[in-house]
Amino acid sequence: MDEILKKRRTLQETMNFMAALSAGIEPILGRGANSMTMSAGRSLGRKFSEGAQQTDDLMEAISEVRKILMKNHCLWGFEPFKPASQSEMITVNDKGQSEIQLVFRDCMIRQSLFRFGHPQEGSLCNMMYGFFAGALESIMGKNATLEIKHAGENACLKVLTVDG
Amino acid sequence: MLEMKIKEKACRGCKLCLDVCPTECFIFNDETEKAEVSVLENCIACLSCDYICPSGAITHNNHHVVANFYRNIHFSQRMEKFL
Repeated sequence: MDEILKKRRTLQETMNFMAALSAGIEPILGRGANSMTMSAGRSLGRKFSEGAQQTDDLMEAISEVRKILMKNHCLWGFEPFKPASQSEMITVNDKGQSEIQLVFRDCMIRQSLFRFGHPQEGSLCNMMYGFFAGALESIMGKNATLEIKHAGENACLKVLTVDG
Repeated sequence: MLEMKIKEKACRGCKLCLDVCPTECFIFNDETEKAEVSVLENCIACLSCDYICPSGAITHNNHHVVANFYRNIHFSQRMEKFL
């Protein structure tokens, strides 16, 4: 029990440190901070998705990303979202890219940021963008972006865009 | 199933909920000058409206509450490999 509590404290401290670091590097590096965390996320996405099933179907690819996250014990639960006014889950934008909205509920980053009152949509949030970009690059062989549409207190809404 | 309610007497008609909602769940009733839930299916339970409402008029029920991961022993055990 003591060992578990020790691990729990270490985990809490690590995440709080990351949140403080993220809030600290942004004023110094500016936009460079986002590139750094995005790059780190992309590397992680590529690494985790090695050996993942290849597919051209976006829904299957998203499902594969979910499996990868679960396999690696990452608490980043997400689900596709479709507004009532929209008929299809996947839409195509004017650039011919496929778009899908994703709702992120349990998020380690959000919890860490709130712990010390750091703002959302910062460089640490960009890590998830990098992760999806890296993972979908491996799974679909296409470029992807994950834009934060809304960062909420209990869930975030993001738009995943994949090149056609 | 998710429920969202606006206490009619508490709503001041400030429209902050309409501005913050990313999925356009609310409409503004010009006659009563109060916000109303329009499309509940669109609600993602981000709770931004709940937090921003100055009079605390908006409440959600039966929604997913984010896991407080660092207080969860099982999760800490699973995260061991990252530490």
